[in-house]
Amino acid sequence: MGRLIPVVLLAIAAVVFPLSVETIFLDVGIERQLGTVQKIFYFHVPLAWIMMLYGVVCGIAAAVQLRRQSRGAEAIAIAAGEMVIVAGLGVLITGPIWGHASWGKAWTWDARQISTGLLWLVFVAYVLVRRYGAAGSERLAAALAIFGAVDVPIIYYAVKIWKTTHPSNEVVVSLPPEMWAALWPALGALLATATALVAIRARQELCEMELDDAWVRAEDPSVGTKGETT
Amino acid sequence: MSTMLMLGAPEAAAEAPAGDGGGDEYEAVEGIDRETIECQRSCEAVAARKTASDYEHIVWAYGVLWSLFAIYGLMLWRRGQRLQGDVASLQAKLGRS
Repeated sequence: MGRLIPVVLLAIAAVVFPLSVETIFLDVGIERQLGTVQKIFYFHVPLAWIMMLYGVVCGIAAAVQLRRQSRGAEAIAIAAGEMVIVAGLGVLITGPIWGHASWGKAWTWDARQISTGLLWLVFVAYVLVRRYGAAGSERLAAALAIFGAVDVPIIYYAVKIWKTTHPSNEVVVSLPPEMWAALWPALGALLATATALVAIRARQELCEMELDDAWVRAEDPSVGTKGETT
Repeated sequence: MSTMLMLGAPEAAAEAPAGDGGGDEYEAVEGIDRETIECQRSCEAVAARKTASDYEHIVWAYGVLWSLFAIYGLMLWRRGQRLQGDVASLQAKLGRS
């Protein structure tokens, strides 16, 4: 069953993605103020939502792992952390491309850009500590993931708290139905792809942990399942 | 008589036809003056440049986005291959012992 989930999600993405491109480029009209370049919105915004979603997932999973020493939570935290890096990089590249076309400047140092950049750097640090940290560094990594998850509401409320070049959050809520009709398929395709990749990565991480244990037991049969000597 | 200008054939509408008793029926063609045409063309050129530039930005944005997912997917596939190799070597070791 677990193996089927990524396959099903990728199949859904493969069907929805062409539909999304068709809706964005052929069905929905050109936004009057921003022009054609506004079509970046249909991928930039869902990508930002996915980045924030997996930031929160990673923070929660890291907290669970810290408290219960759960391998499943650890694997989900690592996979979600990597997805934050991938989606975050996408947001940090597509945003300036859109800004360059519509504001005339790629990077304006506004609060939402800075908090998004900070989130990305925190999760890069998390993944680096997880990968290269010494024994016991999981606690530091988990703390970083929780800190990163706390940054998510800051990104959301940045446009309310500070004066920014980004539009307010109400812009998305008040979109006309035809724009929502283009946004849903794009969100669906990206979310399905991202979730499939997270599921594959989490499964690989669990497999790697079990393989490590198996190697230790093969070398020394007196060692227990989680590396402890019996 | 005022000089009229038509899009694509500016000279053609300049004069009324001579004779043939059509004098009373003649009605000058109301075309668009040159300044308006030039203004429209200039606006169209600006809009065309903006649209071309917008599409260039969109192609870059979508290209980068799906490249990132493809690169990450490729990394996961390579990791999967490495894990399979690791499992095979563990099985070989267990088979030997």
